[in-house]
Amino acid sequence: MACRRSTTQRKMGRTNTVRALAGCLALLSVSACGSLRNPPPKDPEALADYKAANDPYEPLNRKMFSVNMWAYHKALRPVGRFWKNNIPRPIRHSIANLNETWREPSVFFSDVGAGKPRRAGDAFMRYLINMTAGVAGFFDVASLAGYPQHETDPGMVLGMWGVKSGPYLFIPFSGPTSFRDAAGYIISQGLTPINYAPRGYGLISFNWGYNILGTFNQFADETDQLDQLEHESLDPYAFLRSAWQQNRQSQIDALKADNRATVPDWY
Amino acid sequence: MMLRRFTRRTMLGAACLLTLLPGLASASPATDFVSSFGGDLAHVLNSSEPVSQKREEILPLLRKNVDIQGIGRYVLGRYWRVATPAQRTRYLTLFEDVLLYAVTVRMGSYQQVSLKILGEVPSPAGTKVTVSVERPRQPSIILTTVVSGNPPKVVDLYGEGASMRMTQRSDYTAFLSRHGGQVQTLIDALSNQVARNRNVSSN
Repeated sequence: MACRRSTTQRKMGRTNTVRALAGCLALLSVSACGSLRNPPPKDPEALADYKAANDPYEPLNRKMFSVNMWAYHKALRPVGRFWKNNIPRPIRHSIANLNETWREPSVFFSDVGAGKPRRAGDAFMRYLINMTAGVAGFFDVASLAGYPQHETDPGMVLGMWGVKSGPYLFIPFSGPTSFRDAAGYIISQGLTPINYAPRGYGLISFNWGYNILGTFNQFADETDQLDQLEHESLDPYAFLRSAWQQNRQSQIDALKADNRATVPDWY
Repeated sequence: MMLRRFTRRTMLGAACLLTLLPGLASASPATDFVSSFGGDLAHVLNSSEPVSQKREEILPLLRKNVDIQGIGRYVLGRYWRVATPAQRTRYLTLFEDVLLYAVTVRMGSYQQVSLKILGEVPSPAGTKVTVSVERPRQPSIILTTVVSGNPPKVVDLYGEGASMRMTQRSDYTAFLSRHGGQVQTLIDALSNQVARNRNVSSN
């Protein structure tokens, strides 16, 4: 019975995910028709700002941002604050560690794709150490052993190899992204071994569980920053867009510039 | 996921973390300046005075060592030219208030911090001096100050790859473009923000 229920829940979850994706695609199709797309301005200076923002779907994105912030104020923020104020910090840290460790294979493959052996070695060692000494990822022992966490994802790798980002997008409950990074996210799911667990296997439930919990945990940690964003910005949407775009480019630049030798490490 | 580490908290809050730079090896006029500025701030921040008193003592240091007028002008972008002289003056006054509030409001939350200059590189905007901010039981923060001018001043601050003044410029120009390019609407919004900040400070 329980098994049947969990199978149903999984199907429902996937159905909802498919619906959400279909909804986004539908909205993007509408925007492609022009109604939710900002036409380029004629004034040269305004045009320069328009190009720098790289956000032709701004009307659509702003709507999505509004949906996100509406949900944030109505439900997510109170729950997030409750989580942050009542769940002990060590537990929240362990959930974050678990999430990072189980995503580590994707980081490793991304580092390989970027042609960065030192980073790939670090990711490999992190996975090995944290899955064993770190008790399946609950504890970040690898950082103590000299392998600090780093981020590499397929979107960064595509950027490093010269793939253009495409227009900026804002996805509710997920945040800022671009066409390239959205594609990178799909690739990263393909590079995460747990996603290949056989149907009906308990690991699938674990996969959904740690992903949802990890995402929520991270969100709870960011409620202060969201509050601050709203308090100190005149246009929080534009502030977030600019900060995210700059941060993303700096991550790609850092990946490109990471030419550390692998010697003396054995890998 | 949405914000991760690149918020203004990191960028501006870290400005008051320039305090523990004295004693670091000097390598150039830019690092000398950052080290000296940090030393002056450290003298105030490490004292046992109440936060309100520290704020009063830190404000003149920030006014002297940060190119607030230059940053303000950059942030207004193409709208600087369409603003009247009176609007420019009023805007810069409000911008200074907003900037100083953002820097000083969190200075009490940074304690027992140690900083290390990691290096410097030239850039079109000035010399970029990168600093590692280390805090007990918390991950270190890497930030980059941009120093330019004679006498040297801080003209920008990068946190997690995001330029403070560029991000602020996006914020203000987007606001203006959505309000018909009327600089007065920005001035009104900043006035409200300053009043709100003062209420928060007094409570």
